[in-house]
This record gives sequence, C-alpha cells and structure tokens, in this order.
Amino acid sequence: MKVHSSEFRAQSLRVGVGLFGLLILVIFGAISLGSESLSFLELTKLESAILYDVRLPRILLGACVGGSLAIAGASLQALLRNPLAEPYLLGVSNGAALGTMLAFVFFESYESSRSILAFAGAALATVAVYQMAKSRAGMSVERLILSGVIVMTFLSSIIILLTTLLDATKLRSFTFWLLGDLSQATKGGFYLSLAALIIGSIILLSQARALNLMMIGEKDAFDFGVEIARTRLVVFATAAALVGVSVASSGSVGFVGLIIPHLVRLAVGSDNRNVLPFSALFGASFVVIADTIARTVIAPREIPVGAITALIGCPLFIYLLKRN
Amino acid sequence: MGNLRLKRCAILGLLFSVGIFASCKSTNVVPTDVSQTREVVDELGRKIRLPAKVTRAVSLAPSLTELVFSVGAGDRLVGVTTYCNYPADAKKIKKIGDVLKPNIENIVALKPQVVFVSTASQLEAFTKTLEQQNIKVFVTNPNSLEHIYKSIEKMGEVFGEKENAEDVVTNLRKRVAKVEESTKNSEKIKTFVQLDKSTFTIGKDSFLTDLIEKAGGVSVTKEVSTPYFKISKERALASNPAVIIISESPDNNTPSEVFKNSSAVKNKKVFKIDADILSRPSPRIVDGLEQIAKSLHPDKF
Repeated sequence: MKVHSSEFRAQSLRVGVGLFGLLILVIFGAISLGSESLSFLELTKLESAILYDVRLPRILLGACVGGSLAIAGASLQALLRNPLAEPYLLGVSNGAALGTMLAFVFFESYESSRSILAFAGAALATVAVYQMAKSRAGMSVERLILSGVIVMTFLSSIIILLTTLLDATKLRSFTFWLLGDLSQATKGGFYLSLAALIIGSIILLSQARALNLMMIGEKDAFDFGVEIARTRLVVFATAAALVGVSVASSGSVGFVGLIIPHLVRLAVGSDNRNVLPFSALFGASFVVIADTIARTVIAPREIPVGAITALIGCPLFIYLLKRN
Repeated sequence: MGNLRLKRCAILGLLFSVGIFASCKSTNVVPTDVSQTREVVDELGRKIRLPAKVTRAVSLAPSLTELVFSVGAGDRLVGVTTYCNYPADAKKIKKIGDVLKPNIENIVALKPQVVFVSTASQLEAFTKTLEQQNIKVFVTNPNSLEHIYKSIEKMGEVFGEKENAEDVVTNLRKRVAKVEESTKNSEKIKTFVQLDKSTFTIGKDSFLTDLIEKAGGVSVTKEVSTPYFKISKERALASNPAVIIISESPDNNTPSEVFKNSSAVKNKKVFKIDADILSRPSPRIVDGLEQIAKSLHPDKF
C-alpha cells in the first residue's frame, strides 16, 4: 500500500479542490434560478427577501443535507463492507422520519425535539438492521438488503398508520415531506444541519483509517490495533445523527448515500480518507442540483426533491445490483 | 400424503367460498318495480334509476350532507361521514367512515336507494365498488357557484323537493347579487387564500377563485390551472397579497412565515374564515362569500 506517496496526495488535493469548485459553481447556479427571476444588480426589498429568506436558506440546507447523507452512506458502506448500504434503503431514514412525526404529534411546540427523536429513530433502525443482518458467516449483501427492506417496510406501515390517524390537513404536508422536501427550509434548520455536517465529518474522518483496515477484514484490522467495537459504535452513531438531522429538516431524500459514494469510488478508488470528504462535497452539489430541478420545472408548483433523487438513483441501484 | 390432504382441503375451501359468494349474489339483488321508478341524470351526465320517492340516502361528503339538508330532506339521510357536522342534526345520523375512506359494508347494510358522491372526494374507484353492489350512485361536480346552484336543484329533483330547492337557489342568488352590486365599482384587491401552513393554496379551478372575484378581489394564484396546489415560497412571497384569507382550523390559524413582510400582515389585513365554510361547496359558501367581501371591502358592508 503506497498510499502515502506525494503524487497520490497531490491527486487527491486536485480532486478535492475540483469538487469544492463544482459545489461553489452549483450553488451560484442555483441562486440564479428559481420560480421568480431576480434582478441581481439592484435587488428590490421584496427580491432581497426572496433571495435571503427563501432561496438561499433552501439551497444551503440542501447542500448540508446532501453532504450529510452522502458521507453517512459512504461510511456505512465501508463499515458494513457492503456497497449497497444506504441510509434510505436500510430503513434508517424511515426510522428518523417516524421519530420526527412522533415529535410533531407529541411535542409540537418544541422544534428541537424533532431532531432528537429523528436521531433516536435512525439509531434504533440502524441497530435493528445490523442485528438482523449479521450472522456467524458474516454479513452478505442479500441479508443486509433484506433486513433493510423489512425494517423499512415495518416503519413505513407505522408511518402510514400515523398519517391515517392525523387529520387531513396535517396529512397533506406530511406526504410531501415524507418524499423528501426542502421547501420548509429555515435559517435555523440550515445552521443546525451545517453544525451536524461539520462535526459529523470530523468524527467520521477520524475513523477513516480504521475503516480502511476494517474493509480488508475485521481480524486484520484488529491485528493492526483497531478497536473494532468502538469504531463500529462511533460510525453508526455519527451516521445515524447525520441522517436524523437531515430527515428532521427535509424528510427522506433517498439514494444520495448510494449514488454519490459510488461515483466517488469510481473516480478516486476506495481509500476512505478520500471517499468520505469527497462524497460530502459531491453529495452537496448533487442535492442542490436535484432541488433546483424540483423547484423550477413546474414553478410555481413544486416536486418533492426525493422524487428527483430516486428517479436518478433507482436505475443506478439496479445497475449496481446486476454488476455485483 | 400430506400434500394430497392439503390439496383436498384447498378444493373444499374453494368450493365452500364459491357457494357463499353465489348465495350472496342471489339475495343481494334489490327487487325493483320499473313502474315505480324514474330516471335522473347526475352531474356527470350519467343516467340512474331511482324509486319514485327516495327515503333512504347516504352522503359521502360534508358538502353533500349540507346540500341535502338545504332542500329539507335531511331526515331521509340514513348514513353520513364522520366529517359531517353541519347542521347539528347531521351529527345524529349513522356514520359510514370518513370522506377518504368510506366503509362499503356499513353502506350496504343501510340499504340506501341512492348514494351521493362528490368529484372533489376523488372516489372514482369506490363509486365502481358501490355500483357492483347494485347501489345507485349520484355524482356531483362542484366547480363553481353556478354548479352549487345546479347541485341544489338536482337534490330537489332526487328528493321530490323542487320548490324548496328553487326557493333556496333564488335566495342565494339574491344574496350573491347584493354582494356583487356592492363591490362592483371598487378596486380588485389582491388576495391569497391560505389552506394550510405549508402554503397550500387555490388555483384557477377552485370555486374559491370564482368566489373571490365576486367578492371584489382577485386571487394572486389564479393563473395556475389546477384546483389546489402547494405554491413555491418564492412565488408566495413575490405575490405580496393585500389580504390573506386563512381557511381556519386548529393547525392553520396564523399567516405562514413567508408573509411576515407582506402588505397584508403589515396592514393587519389577515382574516380567518372557518375552514368548514370555505372548503365545502354547499349553500353555506354564500356565507363564505359575504365574509370574504366584508374582509376585502369593510367600508361597503
């Protein structure tokens, strides 16, 4: 493993700078598009309200959500040694969604309860899937996906039960939100999401070397001095927290954690010290692009952004499944 | 061995269930004497045969329940939805489920001569289920004030209460004409109708768009051709309405965040009208019209 060669580092740096540049470009592109056209050279009071109170918080929240979901997906894939592990497909997003809805039903006036219960739901779903999927022979792709589907379906049925019990006007806003929707973005939601993304990324990056070793095999990793149980706990908890905060603000935006890490690995290989940060950067761009499509194609009406990401993600998932 | 037994069981079971369905079919056909029936055309143009006197009807929407009561036939409703809360007598009638999920078994058990369905409830599949049970379904299509008048007249026809229905319509037309007369020369006020906090609102095809015009206003979302939709926050903000009408319910009683700097909020021109009145295409919608007109032009009323 000559991963420390200076040439390798230089290449990583180039890709990182390139992806960061792409994100900045995408954000500026997204700012210039919307259901209202703005005269950017001299904004009227109304236009500046549209830009700063509505469009910008939404774009930036989208970037944080995309980054969070992509880096959570990438780290789960490394930890489970399974290329199809994805927060949405594993039912983790649904766990968070259920938590958010329970918070909405029981503690409506405490907005912070949503993120906390979303995290709890995501964590419980993660543990449930992991316990169901692992066997003495290790964890096969099929077993993991099946466990994920079961947990996801079970949680979906509880969510459907809840929406049926809620009254009709509440139900309407929830069906939109469940599909992944950034239209309720607020500045507060963005700051929370940004904080979660920064802290979560730092924690996950600190585990990147351990994850690299665990990808070779848990026994080898142990021989190299990796505390496997601790790494597993830290990665699971951080990924669940990132997914929880994202879902609490924008519902279940699916497939981001699948598509993005895969494309990144195709480009730079599977060293997690690269895959994790690059996934976050690229995931941010991806969701901002998807949401720009969602809010402009049938303006002033809107499409849930989750529908767009799933539309792109499903075919790719089938392709990856076939190739495996 | 076990396999054979399983097969035998399955065949027996199958025969048994066929027997049950066959016997059901034969008892479920309601005997109809053609000489005592008449033909009525519903609002989708479908012809249905009804008995000369309708005494057992079921309503699948609160607006339809209100329509039936308005022509004085409320005592002939034997089943309504859990949302049917007006007039007070409607609450005493047997419930057959809610608007989105009516219960077919409850309806069949009530042996209705006709079931009323509104196109607004999107129950096309359920209508078919009812018709398969040999139950007559009358569909209303309430898209504007004129349609509501027509629905009232149709209800009069179904229940043999034509005079009542005509009186109701004449009275409503007078009240509407009075509102239109008072607001005719005044400035059209830009109005946003807030159906829920996530900026769900009305499009061109909602009867409320028509109502706002009659009340001397103009819906800021009228160029979108759909009955109801979720508007982008950007467009909502840009529309800067002079008046916001909130369709009031426990979850929807303050203007959405995006309107905090709109002229409506700044000038305290936010009005709440009971969601039951605004969301139901029934005679009470004229109460809604009068309340909207009063909100838009307080000087005229």
